[in-house]
Amino acid sequence: MATQDTALDTRSGRRSTAQRNALFLRIAELAPIVIVLFVLFGGALVLALLQSLGFAPWFGINTFPDFSYFGALWGSSAFWVSLGLTLYYGLVSTIIALIMAIVLSLALIKPFRGKTLYKYLYKLPLMIPYTVGIALAVLMLGNGGILSRLMALVGMIDNPGDFPQILKTHYGWGIIAVYVWKQVPFMTLAIYAVLLGIGRETEEAAAILGATRRQIFFSVTLPQILPGIVSSTLICFAFNVGAFEAPFILGGGYPDTLPVVAWRYFNDANYAFQLQGMATVVSIGIVAGVILFAYLAVYRRYERMRGRA
Amino acid sequence: MTQVQLRAVRKEFGSFVALEHIDLNIASGELVALLGPSGCGKTTTLRMISGLDNPTNGEILFDGKDVSEVPVRDRNVGMVFQRYALFPHMNVEKNITFGLRVRNVSPEEVSERLEEILDIVQLTQFRHRFPAQLSGGQMQRVAIARTLITKPSVLMMDEPLANLDTNLRGEMRRFIRDLQQRFNITTIFVTHDQVEAMELSDRVAVLFDGRLEQFDTPDAIYHRPDKISVAKFMGASNIFECTVADGMIKAGFADLAAIGTQAFAQGERADAMVRSEAIRLLKEPQDGAANQVEGEIRTADFFGATVSYTVQVGEHELNVDEHSTEKLETGSRVFLQLPGDRIWLFPKRAN
Repeated sequence: MATQDTALDTRSGRRSTAQRNALFLRIAELAPIVIVLFVLFGGALVLALLQSLGFAPWFGINTFPDFSYFGALWGSSAFWVSLGLTLYYGLVSTIIALIMAIVLSLALIKPFRGKTLYKYLYKLPLMIPYTVGIALAVLMLGNGGILSRLMALVGMIDNPGDFPQILKTHYGWGIIAVYVWKQVPFMTLAIYAVLLGIGRETEEAAAILGATRRQIFFSVTLPQILPGIVSSTLICFAFNVGAFEAPFILGGGYPDTLPVVAWRYFNDANYAFQLQGMATVVSIGIVAGVILFAYLAVYRRYERMRGRA
Repeated sequence: MTQVQLRAVRKEFGSFVALEHIDLNIASGELVALLGPSGCGKTTTLRMISGLDNPTNGEILFDGKDVSEVPVRDRNVGMVFQRYALFPHMNVEKNITFGLRVRNVSPEEVSERLEEILDIVQLTQFRHRFPAQLSGGQMQRVAIARTLITKPSVLMMDEPLANLDTNLRGEMRRFIRDLQQRFNITTIFVTHDQVEAMELSDRVAVLFDGRLEQFDTPDAIYHRPDKISVAKFMGASNIFECTVADGMIKAGFADLAAIGTQAFAQGERADAMVRSEAIRLLKEPQDGAANQVEGEIRTADFFGATVSYTVQVGEHELNVDEHSTEKLETGSRVFLQLPGDRIWLFPKRAN
């Protein structure tokens, strides 16, 4: 009867008290995420876009719509070098972390002595902040760091200063090392969860059908762990492209990555440069957005090809 | 056509002994069921024959040749998993031809064998579908086709009908039996369903707690079990103690004529089993009938085609299955006839 009453109320356009309460509850449940997404994140995005187009009356600047900030940025060859460096650090560290995470996930699936302890240990970097990781990289990998002193001690190099330069070069090995160190556990967590979900039966079926270990990995395992790979690489790549601390401390200096470039603009004594900084931030957003959207589109197309909606 | 032998096979997982000591001889082209309750070691046995697990001790022989150390991919066996284990990212065609493609079979032969097997398993019209778009029965047939296309020497199935509904089970049972006879392939399947084991197989291996209790034809397992544990697992309910004397058995509720008493010493204690469907239930006594006892119906459970009665006979209760064409009321006085040739005796020492 109650269902019928509700249906009648709906048909006549009136809402029952129960419906109103349910709607209120739904709005209350969604409110935190709506506020964060639309007000904080969306609002900041709109404001950043407005500033990058010359709208900053609080600095006494309002030339909106003014594309000169983007023109100056994109017209400079340094911007493209910075963009290349940003993408290089982001991409290489994501790929290296992914390969290590896949190997680690596959190892964790198998039973071995001390597995329970190891499953706790590998997650440790997740709990340690990036800045600590950066400090560790400086302590370990710098010229005069622990590794260089150890090599000098065993006579592999004459003195710590001869240690090959790992940090503060445009190869970015220090940056990549920190990203990989931090992100391997995260990716492993995602891929391991997917592996647990799919079980071992399809791999066993493939082995019985005569497949080699290599064939099993590429034809059976890899396609099935793709959801874990896509989600974790997406998050890590987006973070790497936008991250500032590691390239700032461990990078090779000018030309810097785009987040560092933006930071320098923001830190300039001349407030007007903040608009140029905003154009840089918006550029990072556009580049990352386009790449991630294309990545997801390709993945969705693949999923549709294999019969998933 | 391959003969499969297990010789003194033992399997341990750490301190847990999954299989104690299994000796099994499966003839070429035979269809054998590994039957037992959950955790008895039947799937472990199947996994060792396939090569997915290695025995801790003992040998597995194919046509007399020890394959215990042969890697799984080189054993040329086929396995149909309980949950099919189809590759979710491949369509029916790709799933079925996987085994041929990884063995580098020529595309022409792959195509030829694909058409042949699709026709056999009647999946031609579903060839481009993905597993998620198939019903349980269709997935089962893809799993079977994927295995048979590689022409395995031994086909193994782990609970092949467990995930299917009742109607589909009957259909798939006939389908599996037809395929097995058509390809004349040595087939071993695991089940915990007694009816499925008896209907499908040539012989049934009954396993309890990692031990092989009996390996025989379905008829022998059902009517002439070696042990009470096997009889009970096969659904026998009328098992009672007796003493063998003068070619008769003295049960607590009557003296009964029974065959097979000559194997027992005079006065030897034994256990007797009579199947509930072998007992005749009468409303009036029959003059001069042997092994006739009087009792009272305590319960009557309706199962559609049959009614299961519990009849109180003296201090004992006997179960009787009758056609449901006429249902008798509880409390009715009835007369039971226990045919002497359907009373099976177990020596006490066997149990």
